[in-house]
Amino acid sequence: MTAEGGFRYSYNSLVYAGEDLAVSVDRVARFGYDAIEIVGEPEQIDAKRVAKLTQDAGIGVSSICSIYTPERDLIHPDPDARNAAIQYVKDLVDFAATMECPTVVVHPTANMKIKALADPAQEWQWAVESIRTAGEYAAPRGVSFSLECWNRFESYFLNRLEQARRLWAETGLANGGVQGDTFHMNIEEASLADAYRDSAGVLQHVHFADSDRTAPGGAHIDFIPIVDALVEIGYDKYISFELLPALADPFSGGRHEEFFDRYTERAIRVIRAVEDLVRTRRTLGGKG
Amino acid sequence: MVTTRPIPLGLSTFVLASPFSDADLGLFGKVKSFGYEQVEVCIEDPGRLTASAVAKAAAEEGLSVLVCGAFGPDRDISHEDEQRRRGGTGYLRHCVDFAAAVGSTLVSGPMYAPTGQARLLDAGARAAQWARATESLAQVAEHARAANVRLAVEPLNRFETDLVNTVEQGVRLCADVGADNVGLLLDTFHMNIEEKSLPAAITTAGPRVFHFQASENDRGTPGSGHIAWEEIVAALRGIDYAGSVVVESFLPTVQEIARAVSLWRPVADSMDALAADSVRYLRPLLQSGGQP
Repeated sequence: MTAEGGFRYSYNSLVYAGEDLAVSVDRVARFGYDAIEIVGEPEQIDAKRVAKLTQDAGIGVSSICSIYTPERDLIHPDPDARNAAIQYVKDLVDFAATMECPTVVVHPTANMKIKALADPAQEWQWAVESIRTAGEYAAPRGVSFSLECWNRFESYFLNRLEQARRLWAETGLANGGVQGDTFHMNIEEASLADAYRDSAGVLQHVHFADSDRTAPGGAHIDFIPIVDALVEIGYDKYISFELLPALADPFSGGRHEEFFDRYTERAIRVIRAVEDLVRTRRTLGGKG
Repeated sequence: MVTTRPIPLGLSTFVLASPFSDADLGLFGKVKSFGYEQVEVCIEDPGRLTASAVAKAAAEEGLSVLVCGAFGPDRDISHEDEQRRRGGTGYLRHCVDFAAAVGSTLVSGPMYAPTGQARLLDAGARAAQWARATESLAQVAEHARAANVRLAVEPLNRFETDLVNTVEQGVRLCADVGADNVGLLLDTFHMNIEEKSLPAAITTAGPRVFHFQASENDRGTPGSGHIAWEEIVAALRGIDYAGSVVVESFLPTVQEIARAVSLWRPVADSMDALAADSVRYLRPLLQSGGQP
């Protein structure tokens, strides 16, 4: 476990696609993670089994990596389609609650959808309403939402944290906030550290990946100012590593060996070292 | 010895009008007034752009012209079907002839495949596409050599192509084509997503860097985001870069490659502001700066 007041670390099992979760849970626990992020497919994944596996391994479930497809579109013009999407998110809430997982990732529309199907103001309103409806279901079940921004190629709807903060505020929900993923932020934000800093108080979840979506340390994102910003705003929730291969549709399968042991080990080692450096500097305040 | 020769600055017509046509040539006056010495003309619709008119308008403003291509599905030099490939090489030859006619020594762009084509292919299919791309490029390179034109091939990020994403792959493609008038166009927007280190990528490509495009990490004004411009210019100095730097962004009206561009929010107050502010930021760096 990390020091008191430190971050908690998780690894997104999305990239372990096709692997038995017993193996995944074992790997994540072995490399010192506090939790694992589970893919949001309640039909395919047995939540009770995952709860048992993680409990036995001494780790938690940090978050649900929801999979938003054209059939799970919270801003679809067809009310039946929107309701189906809301039902999917509600199912994820139950799925999460079964695993005592605090956070379900929310994005208002389908991954890889880059064309509005209705007027932008109307879509925005549907987003507010759909998320609010699902969020009101989640609150009494102890589950929070993290409203995630994706880069322009994966979604036209929320690209910058500023947009997500505005949408979240309009839902009026208290159970959750926004989520920034450094891979997307590297494309969209003027400053990654400032984008987190400006989300003080409403940052529910964090995804880390390097600029090319591999494990931190391998490419050009400087994580020191980013971690410093997270420490500065008192962020004490999960840092989850969502690492994916260099494909336009990274969810399209295939086993990429480096994302298993190699990146799982490196991601936490590198960012823990950065966290240690940042906290040490802050404690010493130049007086060391 | 590292040179401190000023690097010329150009503006892409994607910032001015899209598709750019003869009717837009009056905008060259603006390009000049912003402080650019070059204009990069993108041939989106060949039917609406005449070389003689472009050359005349540019000469009147004292601008030199560069040519780049826009590669939609009908301009696919690596397609399985030979007829379709000919559509691609035909367009590329037109770009070369156009370049020669307007006095551009370069045709640049992601000319190896349709922009936005990003599929999962097995290794065999990928190698076959690669071979078709190199063969087509070799053919066009021969045509270009006769016209004294060089081809600058642009790697694109993973969401815009599945064939050439990194500078390393680009260097390999050039080597496989095996023509010394085929090199690379490096674009900071794509490099920011794909390269482990942007300066290292520039150094790796070295003499193969024929052309360079400047765009902020979000396609906005250079200097408004997190790209490390001083390091990049220093790397260009380090390879004794003899080309120019062209500022590129896109209007929401872009058609030929709209899916690939995917710009959903304004990245500057206006495109004019982007063009003017880019000069203000980059000029001092390109003039003599970029020392680490």
